[in-house]
Amino acid sequence: MNALREALVVLRRVCVTFAGGTGFIIVLAVLAFALFAPWIAPQDPDRLDVLHRFAGPSAEHWLGSDQLGRDLFSRIVFGASVAMAVALTAIAIALSTGTLLGVLAAFLPPRSERLILILFDVILSFPNLVLALAIVAVFGPSTTIVVAVAAITLAPNFGRVARAQTLTLRNAPFLEAERILGASGWRIVVHHVLPNILGPLIVLASMDIPIVITIEAGLSFLGLGVRPPLASWGVLIQDGYQFLSDSWIPVVVSSLTLAIATLGFTLFGESLRDAVDPRIGRER
Amino acid sequence: MTEPLVSIRNLKLDAATSRGTAHILRGVDLDIGRGRIVGVVGESGSGKSSLASCLLGLLAANVRVLDGSIKFDGVDLLSLGEGQMQAIRGTRVAMIFQDPMTALNPLFTIGTHLIDVIRRRSPKVARRDALARAEEMLRTVGIADAALRLKAYPHQLSGGMRQRVMIAMALLAGPELLLADEPTTALDATVEAQIVSLLQALRRNISGSIAFISHHLGLIAELCDDLCVMYGGMVVETGPVADVLGKPMHPYTSALLACEIGDDREGRLVSIPGEVPDPISETQACMFAPRCAHAIERCRGEVPRMRTAADGRKVACHRFEELA
Amino acid sequence: MTDAPLIAFDRVSVVFDGEVRALDDVSLTIAKGEISGLVGESGSGKTTLCRVLVGLTPATSGSVAIDGRSVSDHLAIDALAFRRKVQMLLQDAVASLSPRMTIRRSLGEPILIHRLASAESWKRLDGILKRLGLPEDLLGKYPHQISGGQARRVGVARALVMQPELIVADEPTAGLDVSVQGELLNLLLDLQREFGLTYLLVSHNLNLIRRVTSRTLVMYLGQIVEDAETRQLFRRPAHPYSAALLSTNPAVDPRHRRSRIVLQGEIPSVVAPPSGCRFHTRCPLAAERCRTEPPDLVEIEPGRRARCHFPFSLAAAGAAA
Repeated sequence: MNALREALVVLRRVCVTFAGGTGFIIVLAVLAFALFAPWIAPQDPDRLDVLHRFAGPSAEHWLGSDQLGRDLFSRIVFGASVAMAVALTAIAIALSTGTLLGVLAAFLPPRSERLILILFDVILSFPNLVLALAIVAVFGPSTTIVVAVAAITLAPNFGRVARAQTLTLRNAPFLEAERILGASGWRIVVHHVLPNILGPLIVLASMDIPIVITIEAGLSFLGLGVRPPLASWGVLIQDGYQFLSDSWIPVVVSSLTLAIATLGFTLFGESLRDAVDPRIGRER
Repeated sequence: MTEPLVSIRNLKLDAATSRGTAHILRGVDLDIGRGRIVGVVGESGSGKSSLASCLLGLLAANVRVLDGSIKFDGVDLLSLGEGQMQAIRGTRVAMIFQDPMTALNPLFTIGTHLIDVIRRRSPKVARRDALARAEEMLRTVGIADAALRLKAYPHQLSGGMRQRVMIAMALLAGPELLLADEPTTALDATVEAQIVSLLQALRRNISGSIAFISHHLGLIAELCDDLCVMYGGMVVETGPVADVLGKPMHPYTSALLACEIGDDREGRLVSIPGEVPDPISETQACMFAPRCAHAIERCRGEVPRMRTAADGRKVACHRFEELA
Repeated sequence: MTDAPLIAFDRVSVVFDGEVRALDDVSLTIAKGEISGLVGESGSGKTTLCRVLVGLTPATSGSVAIDGRSVSDHLAIDALAFRRKVQMLLQDAVASLSPRMTIRRSLGEPILIHRLASAESWKRLDGILKRLGLPEDLLGKYPHQISGGQARRVGVARALVMQPELIVADEPTAGLDVSVQGELLNLLLDLQREFGLTYLLVSHNLNLIRRVTSRTLVMYLGQIVEDAETRQLFRRPAHPYSAALLSTNPAVDPRHRRSRIVLQGEIPSVVAPPSGCRFHTRCPLAAERCRTEPPDLVEIEPGRRARCHFPFSLAAAGAAA
């Protein structure tokens, strides 16, 4: 399919740059960890081994163990699953609802459009941490909360981009031509508008992944998100921080992991954005 | 016969594109006589707009001159550095662009635009005098309320007025060579008529030469003294406009004339079979051969040179003598 | 050919935002099987007229009837049938095609939208494509990869697969090189003869209008100023604006050159049209009456209407017969 070929061309452009290539490798690693965690992790991340708590790196525990003797490396690997699951779910929700609202906003009469835009602005002006606290106060902390907070926080941006892109298309001749052929509004949106606005939205999505990872880690660190025993990187950092006096390894290792993963996704996302820049795009 | 103002010989222009090297101009020979209005007519891919860019030395980054010379009053423009070209642009060579909407800077008033041009020629002119000259020139190009318009911004003027401002700027520059690239294409018909009428009237004010680039044969027929027909990056025929149109010598010129929609309502409309040549193609043949009704073996293997056919007329065709 | 007109505009006005009178009191009829021309400059309302005709823009007042039934009724009762009947070719042929769809998919759109019998329709389409001279390998390409002429032909094929009765063509030769436009026009004329199509051609190419149309409507600032048989119009325009517009056509052959009537001033804005006759600010013959009393579109000769207090007063010298 042509979309696949186009994607590969873009991917190649991303990987030839140092930043993009590095980012891509990190992204692949994180994804591999996330998908194949049960096979990559040498041990069960929840297996307690209290006799060997705060062990240093060894053959048995590659990165040592935490305060309950659990294998740190395995927990980090499973942490990647959590990070990716949360990130991809949240972004999928944000992307779909945001895009739907944004495209609607572009086609609806000014009154309705304004309502949608006000909704976007309200959400955007809210600091997401305060939002999280408010929601947690009502519903209690959980992974679902993290996903919800991240999705709500990100949706307006997708909405804005989707609306802006749709507006540039609104008077495009081909949309009028389709109307003249008899296409229904629905058909026009799904077959003609969406495919043409997806580009910037996908770039935005990839650049939002590190943001969600950070949101999740932050909330979990504060105990407002992922609940133990689920091993999120935020939880790992929190644990390591609590027992810093006993061992510096857990906090450093888990923080570094978060930093590298976030960096990798950011580099990849930015490189992707440059690669789909229309100036470098198709030529006649 | 005095020396032509501009003498282009064997100009070759290439552009680097993703599909390969595009040969935009494939060895153009052209003379622009002093005080003459030369019409350059061609369809898409003929290279006529690139010719204008070349004369101004304003080429895109992926375009380069491969070969040839452009003698402007004896000096080869291609041998000049950017600094020297800058000195020539806007003073000795000026251009009127196709799109009056985007050719003026939206941040500056019309007065500022005009004074800039005046100051380039005479740097020491006092502002008051420059404004007076600008106002006079606006009147000359037919803009009513000239004094008011000096203070206006480009977006406040209509397309026709903006084009008149461009003509005013060109006149104030007093260039020896004025390039006009499809100056009326974006205008309504009645406004175009006004501009054409203006240009005809202003001929006397313009002592230099004009190169009028267009795809509109009728317009060139009315406005120009000489005609240059381009096809596929080459000049195929030149000569006085009435002569060339009355008795075309190149098969492309004849075919193009036949395509003009005439009066009679009977019969089919004429078109030239085939497509315009691909600039990427490397050929050592006449560019028109694939579509020419009179092509012979020689046409497909050898590039025809521009040869003098009659007094003041040149043709690039192997068979022009037999076909006449 | 039936006597009842296919298209009838009755005092149609289109006003945008309460201010811009894009169409003002337009009344016209077009017979079935006729090729009509529509000429006018910016602000004339010709584009709006086309859009109202195909149901893209609603009329603010007045009625537009096609085949005896109003457009709004058509759209309410059976919109899809209306779309099959009335088609329009937009000015920018390449931009009329969805950029991320292959030509094949774009051609298939009408078949999917109207749920036409697939095998039969594609067979018809293949036949049309062959007649249009479009190569097989074009189907897999994207709009940005094909030429303006090819895009125009794809648009025609798409419109024809639905077997329409009326085609509105907005500048069908715009962007086409002179050397190829003849072929496209011949084709459009052949199809018209073969299928009994009715055309409304909008063009700024007066030679085209004169050659191809049987009737021509001249518009200025939202109004029809002249409605005449094409040959009559070109031989002897009644309205001063028509005379001026027709005289602007530069002719290659010096024998065909008319003396040009150059109008004063610019085209006024549609938001604040001049009082009385809208053309009086630029008319070389404007009299006091023209400033105060707007002329009606009346029949000045059998089969000919003009909106002027003094028709035929502006002689267009050197008219080519």
